[in-house]
Amino acid sequence: MSQMIPQDIANTIVNPDAYAAEKPVDEAFKFLRKEMPLARAEPEGFAPFWAITKHADILEVEKQNELFHNGDLATTLVTIDVDQKVRQMMGGSPHMVRSLVQMDNPDHMAYRRLTQAWFLPQNLKKLEGRIKDIAKVFVDRMADMGGTCDFAKDVALYFPLHVIMETLGVPEADEPKMLKLTQELFGSNDPDLNRTGVKPTFEEGLAAMQATIGDFITYFNALTEDRRANPREDLSSVIANGQINGQPLDHFAAMSYYIIAATAGHDTTSNTTSSGLWALAERPDDFKRLKADPSLIPAFIDETIRWATPVKHFMRSATADTEVRGQKIAKGDWMMLCYPSGNRDEEVFDNPFEFQIDRKPNKQLAFGYGAHVCIGQHLAKLEMRLFWEEILRRVDHVELAGTPQNSLSNFVCGPKNVPIRYKMQ
Amino acid sequence: MAQAPKKWQCQVCGFIYDEAEGLPDEGIEPGTAWADIPDDWVCPDCGSSKDDFAMAEID
Repeated sequence: MSQMIPQDIANTIVNPDAYAAEKPVDEAFKFLRKEMPLARAEPEGFAPFWAITKHADILEVEKQNELFHNGDLATTLVTIDVDQKVRQMMGGSPHMVRSLVQMDNPDHMAYRRLTQAWFLPQNLKKLEGRIKDIAKVFVDRMADMGGTCDFAKDVALYFPLHVIMETLGVPEADEPKMLKLTQELFGSNDPDLNRTGVKPTFEEGLAAMQATIGDFITYFNALTEDRRANPREDLSSVIANGQINGQPLDHFAAMSYYIIAATAGHDTTSNTTSSGLWALAERPDDFKRLKADPSLIPAFIDETIRWATPVKHFMRSATADTEVRGQKIAKGDWMMLCYPSGNRDEEVFDNPFEFQIDRKPNKQLAFGYGAHVCIGQHLAKLEMRLFWEEILRRVDHVELAGTPQNSLSNFVCGPKNVPIRYKMQ
Repeated sequence: MAQAPKKWQCQVCGFIYDEAEGLPDEGIEPGTAWADIPDDWVCPDCGSSKDDFAMAEID
């Protein structure tokens, strides 16, 4: 008989407030890894699902993309009410967008191949000079702020945004709009970030989400038209002019492709950079070490990614009866991949709740695994390396000037405020 | 004459297998040719198999 997760723990691992506070989810997942690493959860208002909390099991599920699908059920946690409403709105589909994240084969591989080459390291090498220039501009702005700022809101938010928007070919004047729409999409539960400015009911949240997606579609429809008429050397032109089996992309899939590039392409990197600076502001000796030895930066970046794990979960569903860690998973069962738990797994990481800038090995799984591994991971790491090289070269020291705050989300979540005092070299 | 060592790239995640370097952490010695890596080996970064994904020869 399958184990049932205690109700308070089940409610915690879906609660945006708990992810913002960090400690409640850390404690919940610690309990689960020890007592019931793969067990059934039925939080209030949600259909039941398996919570996958061990590093090894997350990899095991993620690498079997035919057995565990992304797109048959909702790919992110939704309540029963929201799921029903979305299906009504979307003609039976559980998805409000149809990006790579929501696809399975044969579509997934075909759509991923359209842009995969763009995101490989050898292509990104061509962008390195430009990204380095952008990093310099943002550290210049930090220098101009006079020694105090909110690092998350004033600096870290904008650098990855600008990089991905330049890659997409979105003009700089439109970046504030793209940022706002991203915050509305990922911060739908957070009154500081969402469309309405208040904690929404589920109907309000859905209506706001639909409006946000509508705004994205209006924008990218215009961009598509332009890039079909006037193709350029940018990612939008690749999407606009891409073909699957000799046909232009399905419109909804094309719009979803832009949306995922325009949102996942920066929010996660901002969160990770802010998390990294927060960690260093509390660990001045590590800051000094990094300044003295920039060869530590790649390992440091891997540790910030593990530490932040900005994508808190994705869902899968089983396409056949199977077994994982001795638990019988039935065809159609919904499963939650608990990435923060995987990245604190005591069997994989020594002292997982310590921030270690030279942690090696660091088998962090924040980018996922298997066919859906983050397509932007090399771009993210390149951006972060160039940004940290610039910051560490020019900032003498940094300390917190207030209490950092995380965004309220159980999906993409990270620091929205990191108030700091700092001195430039 | 021995062939120069080659690099092979996972088409899913971009991981590069360099024949000259091998993967000592996984027990694959430097100099191990791609063809000599066991068929059940998987990409360490994304789990893609040799059979399921095209590894492209790159310079």
